[in-house]
Amino acid sequence: MPQEMEGRYQERLARYVAAMKKEKPDRVPIRPFAAEFAGKYAGYNNQQVTHDVDLAFDAIMKCARDFDWDATVGNMVYVWTGLTEAAGLNYYAIPGIDKPPTDAFQYVEPPDEESAFMKADEYDEFIADPTGFIANVWMPRANRYVVPLGEPSTAKNNLAWLKGGMAMLHYFNKFGAQIARLKNETGTVHAIAGCLKAPFDILADKFRGFRQLCADIHRQPKKVLAACEALRPHMYYCAVAGADPTKTVPISIWLHRGCTPFLSPKQFETFFWPTCKKIIEDLHAEGRQVLWYAEGDWNPNLKYIAELPEKSIIYHVDRADPFEVYEKVGHKFAISGGVPNDILAYGTPDEVRARCKEVIDRIGKNGGYIMDAGAIMQDDSTIANIKAMTEFTVEYGVYR
Amino acid sequence: MPQKKQRKAIRPGVCFPWEEKVKEYPVILGDPKIVQKAWEELDSLAYLYLWFCIMQS
Repeated sequence: MPQEMEGRYQERLARYVAAMKKEKPDRVPIRPFAAEFAGKYAGYNNQQVTHDVDLAFDAIMKCARDFDWDATVGNMVYVWTGLTEAAGLNYYAIPGIDKPPTDAFQYVEPPDEESAFMKADEYDEFIADPTGFIANVWMPRANRYVVPLGEPSTAKNNLAWLKGGMAMLHYFNKFGAQIARLKNETGTVHAIAGCLKAPFDILADKFRGFRQLCADIHRQPKKVLAACEALRPHMYYCAVAGADPTKTVPISIWLHRGCTPFLSPKQFETFFWPTCKKIIEDLHAEGRQVLWYAEGDWNPNLKYIAELPEKSIIYHVDRADPFEVYEKVGHKFAISGGVPNDILAYGTPDEVRARCKEVIDRIGKNGGYIMDAGAIMQDDSTIANIKAMTEFTVEYGVYR
Repeated sequence: MPQKKQRKAIRPGVCFPWEEKVKEYPVILGDPKIVQKAWEELDSLAYLYLWFCIMQS
Protein backbone atom coordinates (compact mmCIF):
# COMPACT_ATOMS: atom_id res chain seq x y z
CA MET A 1 0.00 0.00 0.00
CA PRO A 2 1.38 3.46 -0.86
CA GLN A 3 2.50 5.41 2.21
CA GLU A 4 -0.02 8.16 1.53
CA MET A 5 -2.89 5.65 1.48
CA GLU A 6 -1.66 3.96 4.65
CA GLY A 7 -1.57 7.37 6.35
CA ARG A 8 -5.10 8.16 5.19
CA TYR A 9 -6.35 4.78 6.41
CA GLN A 10 -4.76 5.18 9.84
CA GLU A 11 -6.14 8.71 10.18
CA ARG A 12 -9.65 7.53 9.35
CA LEU A 13 -9.39 4.48 11.58
CA ALA A 14 -8.28 6.61 14.52
CA ARG A 15 -11.15 9.04 13.91
CA TYR A 16 -13.74 6.27 13.67
CA VAL A 17 -12.49 4.32 16.68
CA ALA A 18 -12.23 7.42 18.87
CA ALA A 19 -15.84 8.33 18.15
CA MET A 20 -17.04 4.78 18.87
CA LYS A 21 -15.28 4.99 22.25
CA LYS A 22 -17.07 8.27 23.00
CA GLU A 23 -13.88 10.24 22.61
CA LYS A 24 -13.43 13.44 20.62
CA PRO A 25 -11.52 12.79 17.38
CA ASP A 26 -10.19 15.51 15.06
CA ARG A 27 -13.60 15.68 13.38
CA VAL A 28 -16.91 13.86 13.17
CA PRO A 29 -16.31 10.62 11.24
CA ILE A 30 -18.56 9.72 8.31
CA ARG A 31 -19.73 6.13 7.96
CA PRO A 32 -22.55 5.72 5.41
CA PHE A 33 -23.96 2.30 4.61
CA ALA A 34 -24.47 2.61 0.87
CA ALA A 35 -26.61 -0.21 -0.51
CA GLU A 36 -28.43 0.31 -3.82
CA PHE A 37 -27.31 3.94 -3.69
CA ALA A 38 -23.80 2.79 -4.58
CA GLY A 39 -25.13 1.08 -7.71
CA LYS A 40 -27.03 4.16 -8.72
CA TYR A 41 -23.94 6.31 -8.23
CA ALA A 42 -21.83 3.92 -10.30
CA GLY A 43 -24.43 3.60 -13.06
CA TYR A 44 -25.77 0.12 -12.24
CA ASN A 45 -29.36 -0.92 -11.69
CA ASN A 46 -30.56 -3.00 -8.77
CA GLN A 47 -30.44 -6.28 -10.64
CA GLN A 48 -26.79 -5.67 -11.45
CA VAL A 49 -25.66 -4.92 -7.88
CA THR A 50 -27.84 -7.62 -6.33
CA HIS A 51 -27.07 -10.51 -8.67
CA ASP A 52 -23.55 -9.64 -9.87
CA VAL A 53 -21.47 -9.24 -6.74
CA ASP A 54 -18.44 -7.97 -8.65
CA LEU A 55 -20.46 -4.99 -9.85
CA ALA A 56 -21.67 -4.42 -6.29
CA PHE A 57 -18.07 -4.34 -5.07
CA ASP A 58 -17.02 -2.03 -7.90
CA ALA A 59 -19.88 0.34 -7.07
CA ILE A 60 -18.70 0.69 -3.49
CA MET A 61 -15.14 1.23 -4.67
CA LYS A 62 -16.31 4.12 -6.83
CA CYS A 63 -18.12 5.66 -3.86
CA ALA A 64 -15.07 5.19 -1.64
CA ARG A 65 -12.84 6.85 -4.20
CA ASP A 66 -15.14 9.81 -4.82
CA PHE A 67 -16.61 10.53 -1.35
CA ASP A 68 -14.53 11.37 1.70
CA TRP A 69 -16.04 8.61 3.85
CA ASP A 70 -14.03 7.36 6.79
CA ALA A 71 -15.70 3.96 6.91
CA THR A 72 -18.25 1.99 4.95
CA VAL A 73 -19.19 -1.60 4.08
CA GLY A 74 -17.77 -3.52 1.13
CA ASN A 75 -21.22 -4.47 -0.15
CA MET A 76 -24.24 -3.24 1.75
CA VAL A 77 -26.73 -4.83 -0.65
CA TYR A 78 -25.23 -7.79 1.16
CA VAL A 79 -27.54 -10.62 0.05
CA TRP A 80 -25.90 -11.84 -3.15
CA THR A 81 -28.83 -13.40 -4.95
CA GLY A 82 -26.48 -15.38 -7.19
CA LEU A 83 -25.74 -17.36 -4.03
CA THR A 84 -29.36 -17.71 -2.96
CA GLU A 85 -30.33 -18.95 -6.43
CA ALA A 86 -27.44 -21.44 -6.56
CA ALA A 87 -28.45 -22.77 -3.16
CA GLY A 88 -32.16 -22.83 -4.03
CA LEU A 89 -33.42 -20.62 -1.17
CA ASN A 90 -37.03 -19.79 -1.88
CA TYR A 91 -37.77 -16.72 0.23
CA TYR A 92 -36.25 -13.91 -1.79
CA ALA A 93 -37.86 -11.78 -4.44
CA ILE A 94 -34.99 -10.99 -6.76
CA PRO A 95 -34.72 -7.96 -9.04
CA GLY A 96 -34.54 -9.07 -12.64
CA ILE A 97 -36.17 -12.45 -11.85
CA ASP A 98 -39.19 -11.97 -9.60
CA LYS A 99 -39.30 -8.20 -9.79
CA PRO A 100 -38.33 -5.48 -12.25
CA PRO A 101 -34.55 -4.95 -12.42
CA THR A 102 -35.01 -1.51 -10.88
CA ASP A 103 -36.60 -2.84 -7.65
CA ALA A 104 -34.64 -3.79 -4.56
CA PHE A 105 -34.52 -7.42 -3.42
CA GLN A 106 -37.03 -8.43 -0.76
CA TYR A 107 -37.21 -11.09 1.91
CA VAL A 108 -40.64 -12.71 1.65
CA GLU A 109 -41.70 -14.02 5.01
CA PRO A 110 -44.10 -16.99 5.12
CA PRO A 111 -47.42 -15.32 5.95
CA ASP A 112 -49.29 -18.15 7.70
CA GLU A 113 -49.00 -21.31 9.75
CA GLU A 114 -49.22 -23.55 6.74
CA SER A 115 -46.22 -21.99 5.02
CA ALA A 116 -44.15 -21.29 8.17
CA PHE A 117 -40.67 -22.84 8.12
CA MET A 118 -41.28 -24.11 11.65
CA LYS A 119 -44.70 -25.23 12.85
CA ALA A 120 -46.34 -24.36 16.16
CA ASP A 121 -45.89 -27.90 17.50
CA GLU A 122 -42.20 -28.17 16.59
CA TYR A 123 -40.72 -26.05 19.39
CA ASP A 124 -39.43 -29.03 21.37
CA GLU A 125 -37.67 -30.49 18.35
CA PHE A 126 -36.14 -27.09 17.56
CA ILE A 127 -35.07 -26.41 21.14
CA ALA A 128 -33.42 -29.84 21.45
CA ASP A 129 -31.11 -29.24 18.49
CA PRO A 130 -31.44 -25.99 16.52
CA THR A 131 -28.62 -26.88 14.09
CA GLY A 132 -30.11 -30.26 13.28
CA PHE A 133 -33.50 -28.62 12.84
CA ILE A 134 -32.08 -26.15 10.32
CA ALA A 135 -30.35 -28.89 8.31
CA ASN A 136 -33.09 -31.46 8.36
CA VAL A 137 -36.37 -29.59 8.71
CA TRP A 138 -35.85 -25.91 7.88
CA MET A 139 -33.71 -26.35 4.79
CA PRO A 140 -36.16 -28.61 2.89
CA ARG A 141 -38.92 -26.09 3.55
CA ALA A 142 -36.89 -22.97 2.78
CA ASN A 143 -35.24 -24.45 -0.27
CA ARG A 144 -36.86 -25.44 -3.54
CA TYR A 145 -34.39 -28.26 -4.21
CA VAL A 146 -33.50 -29.85 -0.85
CA VAL A 147 -35.63 -32.90 -0.08
CA PRO A 148 -36.75 -33.84 3.44
CA LEU A 149 -35.11 -36.65 5.39
CA GLY A 150 -36.44 -40.04 4.43
CA GLU A 151 -37.42 -39.08 0.91
CA PRO A 152 -35.41 -40.21 -2.11
CA SER A 153 -32.56 -37.86 -2.91
CA THR A 154 -32.40 -36.06 -6.22
CA ALA A 155 -29.65 -34.60 -8.35
CA LYS A 156 -31.01 -31.13 -7.60
CA ASN A 157 -30.87 -31.82 -3.88
CA ASN A 158 -27.25 -32.91 -4.08
CA LEU A 159 -26.26 -29.95 -6.20
CA ALA A 160 -28.12 -27.47 -3.99
CA TRP A 161 -26.02 -28.45 -0.97
CA LEU A 162 -22.81 -28.42 -2.98
CA LYS A 163 -23.45 -25.17 -4.83
CA GLY A 164 -24.75 -23.39 -1.76
CA GLY A 165 -21.62 -24.15 0.22
CA MET A 166 -19.31 -23.32 -2.65
CA ALA A 167 -21.16 -20.08 -3.34
CA MET A 168 -20.85 -18.95 0.25
CA LEU A 169 -17.12 -19.68 0.32
CA HIS A 170 -16.76 -17.85 -2.99
CA TYR A 171 -18.64 -14.82 -1.67
CA PHE A 172 -16.74 -14.59 1.59
CA ASN A 173 -13.41 -14.98 -0.18
CA LYS A 174 -14.39 -12.13 -2.47
CA PHE A 175 -15.56 -10.09 0.51
CA GLY A 176 -12.17 -10.45 2.17
CA ALA A 177 -10.49 -9.19 -0.99
CA GLN A 178 -12.95 -6.30 -1.16
CA ILE A 179 -12.08 -5.21 2.38
CA ALA A 180 -8.40 -5.20 1.39
CA ARG A 181 -9.21 -3.20 -1.77
CA LEU A 182 -11.08 -0.60 0.23
CA LYS A 183 -8.09 -0.20 2.51
CA ASN A 184 -5.30 -0.36 -0.05
CA GLU A 185 -6.86 1.58 -2.91
CA THR A 186 -8.94 4.18 -1.06
CA GLY A 187 -7.74 4.21 2.56
CA THR A 188 -11.28 3.44 3.73
CA VAL A 189 -12.01 1.49 6.90
CA HIS A 190 -14.39 -1.47 6.74
CA ALA A 191 -16.95 -0.31 9.27
CA ILE A 192 -18.17 -3.60 10.73
CA ALA A 193 -17.28 -7.27 10.96
CA GLY A 194 -19.50 -10.07 12.17
CA CYS A 195 -23.25 -10.28 12.11
CA LEU A 196 -25.56 -10.63 15.10
CA LYS A 197 -29.31 -10.99 15.27
CA ALA A 198 -31.48 -11.06 18.35
CA PRO A 199 -32.80 -14.57 19.03
CA PHE A 200 -36.39 -13.31 19.00
CA ASP A 201 -35.86 -11.68 15.60
CA ILE A 202 -34.41 -14.86 14.14
CA LEU A 203 -37.28 -16.90 15.54
CA ALA A 204 -39.72 -14.48 13.90
CA ASP A 205 -37.90 -13.88 10.62
CA LYS A 206 -36.73 -17.33 9.72
CA PHE A 207 -38.68 -19.90 11.67
CA ARG A 208 -42.19 -19.02 12.81
CA GLY A 209 -42.94 -15.82 10.91
CA PHE A 210 -43.81 -12.73 12.92
CA ARG A 211 -47.59 -13.23 12.80
CA GLN A 212 -47.35 -16.80 14.04
CA LEU A 213 -44.83 -15.82 16.74
CA CYS A 214 -47.21 -13.13 18.00
CA ALA A 215 -49.77 -15.89 18.62
CA ASP A 216 -47.13 -18.09 20.24
CA ILE A 217 -46.18 -15.48 22.84
CA HIS A 218 -49.74 -15.78 24.14
CA ARG A 219 -50.39 -19.47 23.51
CA GLN A 220 -47.03 -21.00 24.44
CA PRO A 221 -44.86 -18.26 25.98
CA LYS A 222 -42.52 -20.67 27.78
CA LYS A 223 -41.69 -22.40 24.52
CA VAL A 224 -40.88 -19.04 22.90
CA LEU A 225 -38.56 -18.15 25.76
CA ALA A 226 -36.89 -21.57 25.61
CA ALA A 227 -36.43 -21.25 21.85
CA CYS A 228 -34.78 -17.83 22.28
CA GLU A 229 -32.49 -19.34 24.90
CA ALA A 230 -31.66 -22.26 22.57
CA LEU A 231 -30.76 -19.77 19.84
CA ARG A 232 -28.62 -17.55 22.07
CA PRO A 233 -25.32 -19.51 22.03
CA HIS A 234 -25.58 -19.95 18.27
CA MET A 235 -26.15 -16.23 17.69
CA TYR A 236 -23.13 -15.52 19.85
CA TYR A 237 -20.98 -18.08 18.03
CA CYS A 238 -21.91 -16.77 14.58
CA ALA A 239 -21.28 -13.16 15.63
CA VAL A 240 -17.79 -13.98 16.88
CA ALA A 241 -17.02 -16.25 13.90
CA GLY A 242 -17.21 -13.28 11.55
CA ALA A 243 -15.88 -10.63 13.91
CA ASP A 244 -12.72 -8.55 13.68
CA PRO A 245 -9.97 -10.60 15.38
CA THR A 246 -8.34 -7.36 16.53
CA LYS A 247 -11.66 -6.28 18.11
CA THR A 248 -11.29 -2.85 16.53
CA VAL A 249 -14.47 -2.52 14.48
CA PRO A 250 -17.83 -3.56 15.91
CA ILE A 251 -20.09 -6.49 15.28
CA SER A 252 -23.39 -5.24 13.88
CA ILE A 253 -26.78 -6.26 15.20
CA TRP A 254 -29.56 -5.63 12.71
CA LEU A 255 -32.64 -5.07 14.81
CA HIS A 256 -35.94 -5.92 13.23
CA ARG A 257 -39.11 -6.25 15.25
CA GLY A 258 -38.52 -5.77 18.93
CA CYS A 259 -39.51 -2.13 18.75
CA THR A 260 -42.91 -0.52 18.83
CA PRO A 261 -45.37 -1.01 17.26
CA PHE A 262 -44.35 -4.65 16.72
CA LEU A 263 -43.92 -5.43 20.42
CA SER A 264 -45.04 -3.48 23.46
CA PRO A 265 -42.26 -2.48 25.88
CA LYS A 266 -43.53 -5.17 28.25
CA GLN A 267 -43.35 -7.85 25.54
CA PHE A 268 -39.92 -6.54 24.60
CA GLU A 269 -38.79 -6.85 28.21
CA THR A 270 -40.12 -10.40 28.49
CA PHE A 271 -39.35 -12.01 25.16
CA PHE A 272 -36.85 -9.97 23.19
CA TRP A 273 -34.52 -8.41 25.68
CA PRO A 274 -33.14 -11.09 28.05
CA THR A 275 -31.27 -13.16 25.46
CA CYS A 276 -30.31 -10.17 23.31
CA LYS A 277 -28.90 -8.36 26.34
CA LYS A 278 -26.95 -11.41 27.50
CA ILE A 279 -25.24 -11.82 24.13
CA ILE A 280 -24.14 -8.18 24.08
CA GLU A 281 -22.93 -8.41 27.67
CA ASP A 282 -20.92 -11.52 26.81
CA LEU A 283 -19.40 -9.84 23.77
CA HIS A 284 -18.55 -6.78 25.84
CA ALA A 285 -16.91 -8.97 28.47
CA GLU A 286 -14.43 -10.15 25.88
CA GLY A 287 -13.71 -6.65 24.62
CA ARG A 288 -16.07 -6.42 21.64
CA GLN A 289 -18.38 -3.56 20.70
CA VAL A 290 -21.71 -3.96 18.95
CA LEU A 291 -23.23 -1.55 16.47
CA TRP A 292 -26.82 -1.39 17.72
CA TYR A 293 -28.52 -0.75 14.38
CA ALA A 294 -31.94 0.28 15.62
CA GLU A 295 -34.06 0.17 12.49
CA GLY A 296 -37.38 1.87 13.19
CA ASP A 297 -38.10 3.72 16.45
CA TRP A 298 -36.67 2.07 19.57
CA ASN A 299 -37.03 5.03 21.94
CA PRO A 300 -39.82 3.41 24.02
CA ASN A 301 -37.20 0.76 24.89
CA LEU A 302 -34.39 3.13 25.86
CA LYS A 303 -34.65 2.38 29.57
CA TYR A 304 -33.82 -1.25 28.86
CA ILE A 305 -31.03 -0.51 26.43
CA ALA A 306 -29.52 1.81 29.04
CA GLU A 307 -28.89 -1.29 31.16
CA LEU A 308 -26.08 -2.36 28.83
CA PRO A 309 -22.49 -1.75 29.94
CA GLU A 310 -20.95 1.60 29.06
CA LYS A 311 -19.53 1.69 25.49
CA SER A 312 -20.72 -1.86 24.83
CA ILE A 313 -22.73 -0.56 21.89
CA ILE A 314 -22.71 2.25 19.36
CA TYR A 315 -26.34 3.33 19.25
CA HIS A 316 -27.49 3.88 15.67
CA VAL A 317 -30.64 5.99 15.26
CA ASP A 318 -33.00 5.42 12.35
CA ARG A 319 -36.51 6.86 12.61
CA ALA A 320 -36.44 7.74 16.30
CA ASP A 321 -35.73 11.16 17.81
CA PRO A 322 -31.91 11.20 18.03
CA PHE A 323 -31.93 13.98 20.60
CA GLU A 324 -33.98 11.89 23.00
CA VAL A 325 -31.53 9.02 22.44
CA TYR A 326 -28.67 11.39 23.28
CA GLU A 327 -30.45 12.64 26.39
CA LYS A 328 -31.29 9.17 27.71
CA VAL A 329 -28.28 7.03 26.74
CA GLY A 330 -25.73 9.50 25.32
CA HIS A 331 -23.81 9.40 28.59
CA LYS A 332 -23.09 5.68 28.04
CA PHE A 333 -22.89 5.06 24.30
CA ALA A 334 -21.58 6.72 21.16
CA ILE A 335 -24.35 7.56 18.69
CA SER A 336 -24.54 7.35 14.92
CA GLY A 337 -27.15 8.25 12.31
CA GLY A 338 -30.04 10.60 12.89
CA VAL A 339 -30.17 11.99 9.35
CA PRO A 340 -33.50 10.65 8.07
CA ASN A 341 -33.48 8.81 4.76
CA ASP A 342 -36.62 10.77 3.86
CA ILE A 343 -34.55 13.96 3.74
CA LEU A 344 -31.81 12.24 1.75
CA ALA A 345 -34.41 11.05 -0.77
CA TYR A 346 -36.86 13.92 -0.96
CA GLY A 347 -35.13 16.90 0.68
CA THR A 348 -32.79 19.48 -0.77
CA PRO A 349 -29.05 19.73 -0.12
CA ASP A 350 -29.75 22.78 2.08
CA GLU A 351 -32.18 20.73 4.17
CA VAL A 352 -29.58 17.96 4.47
CA ARG A 353 -26.91 20.44 5.59
CA ALA A 354 -29.32 21.95 8.13
CA ARG A 355 -30.10 18.54 9.59
CA CYS A 356 -26.42 17.57 9.74
CA LYS A 357 -25.65 20.85 11.52
CA GLU A 358 -28.40 20.25 14.06
CA VAL A 359 -27.22 16.71 14.78
CA ILE A 360 -23.57 17.72 15.08
CA ASP A 361 -24.42 20.72 17.29
CA ARG A 362 -26.73 18.84 19.63
CA ILE A 363 -25.25 15.31 19.70
CA GLY A 364 -21.72 15.51 18.37
CA LYS A 365 -20.42 18.62 20.07
CA ASN A 366 -18.27 16.67 22.53
CA GLY A 367 -17.33 13.75 20.28
CA GLY A 368 -18.88 10.30 20.39
CA TYR A 369 -20.94 10.84 17.26
CA ILE A 370 -20.65 9.28 13.78
CA MET A 371 -22.40 10.87 10.81
CA ASP A 372 -24.69 8.53 8.88
CA ALA A 373 -28.11 8.24 7.34
CA GLY A 374 -30.83 6.75 9.51
CA ALA A 375 -30.85 3.51 7.53
CA ILE A 376 -28.95 1.90 4.71
CA MET A 377 -29.06 4.13 1.65
CA GLN A 378 -31.04 2.67 -1.21
CA ASP A 379 -31.43 4.12 -4.66
CA ASP A 380 -33.88 6.81 -3.56
CA SER A 381 -31.12 8.79 -1.82
CA THR A 382 -30.01 11.49 -4.22
CA ILE A 383 -26.40 11.96 -5.18
CA ALA A 384 -26.59 15.69 -4.45
CA ASN A 385 -27.84 15.00 -0.93
CA ILE A 386 -25.17 12.41 -0.14
CA LYS A 387 -22.54 14.84 -1.39
CA ALA A 388 -24.07 17.53 0.84
CA MET A 389 -24.02 15.25 3.90
CA THR A 390 -20.41 14.27 3.26
CA GLU A 391 -18.97 17.66 2.35
CA PHE A 392 -20.80 19.50 5.11
CA THR A 393 -19.54 17.07 7.75
CA VAL A 394 -15.97 17.20 6.50
CA GLU A 395 -16.04 20.99 6.76
CA TYR A 396 -18.32 21.70 9.71
CA GLY A 397 -17.59 18.58 11.76
CA VAL A 398 -14.02 19.59 12.62
CA TYR A 399 -13.38 19.84 16.38
CA ARG A 400 -11.43 22.98 17.14
CA MET B 1 -25.33 -35.10 10.10
CA PRO B 2 -26.91 -37.43 12.69
CA GLN B 3 -30.35 -38.67 11.66
CA LYS B 4 -33.56 -37.31 13.14
CA LYS B 5 -34.13 -40.02 15.75
CA GLN B 6 -30.65 -39.59 17.21
CA ARG B 7 -30.96 -35.81 17.56
CA LYS B 8 -29.73 -34.31 20.82
CA ALA B 9 -28.28 -30.98 21.87
CA ILE B 10 -25.15 -30.20 19.89
CA ARG B 11 -22.88 -27.34 20.85
CA PRO B 12 -22.42 -24.27 18.60
CA GLY B 13 -19.91 -24.73 15.79
CA VAL B 14 -20.72 -28.41 15.34
CA CYS B 15 -22.96 -30.34 12.93
CA PHE B 16 -21.61 -33.87 13.32
CA PRO B 17 -19.66 -34.19 16.56
CA TRP B 18 -16.24 -35.81 16.53
CA GLU B 19 -17.39 -37.98 19.41
CA GLU B 20 -19.89 -39.57 17.00
CA LYS B 21 -17.59 -39.59 14.00
CA VAL B 22 -14.77 -41.39 15.79
CA LYS B 23 -17.06 -44.36 16.43
CA GLU B 24 -17.09 -45.01 12.67
CA TYR B 25 -13.38 -45.94 12.70
CA PRO B 26 -12.54 -49.45 13.87
CA VAL B 27 -9.11 -48.10 14.71
CA ILE B 28 -7.05 -45.02 13.90
CA LEU B 29 -3.55 -46.20 13.07
CA GLY B 30 -1.88 -42.80 13.27
CA ASP B 31 -2.41 -39.68 15.39
CA PRO B 32 -6.17 -39.30 16.06
CA LYS B 33 -5.72 -35.60 16.87
CA ILE B 34 -4.79 -34.89 13.26
CA VAL B 35 -7.92 -36.65 12.08
CA GLN B 36 -10.02 -34.84 14.66
CA LYS B 37 -8.62 -31.39 13.78
CA ALA B 38 -9.43 -31.74 10.09
CA TRP B 39 -12.88 -33.14 10.84
CA GLU B 40 -13.82 -30.38 13.26
CA GLU B 41 -12.40 -27.58 11.13
CA LEU B 42 -14.52 -28.54 8.13
CA ASP B 43 -17.53 -29.48 10.22
CA SER B 44 -17.53 -25.94 11.63
CA LEU B 45 -17.67 -24.55 8.08
CA ALA B 46 -20.76 -26.65 7.41
CA TYR B 47 -22.23 -25.28 10.63
CA LEU B 48 -21.53 -21.72 9.51
CA TYR B 49 -23.12 -22.37 6.13
CA LEU B 50 -26.34 -23.49 7.79
CA TRP B 51 -26.45 -20.63 10.25
CA PHE B 52 -25.37 -17.93 7.80
CA CYS B 53 -28.33 -18.95 5.63
CA ILE B 54 -30.45 -18.18 8.68
CA MET B 55 -28.62 -14.97 9.60
CA GLN B 56 -28.91 -13.29 6.23
CA SER B 57 -31.57 -10.62 5.94
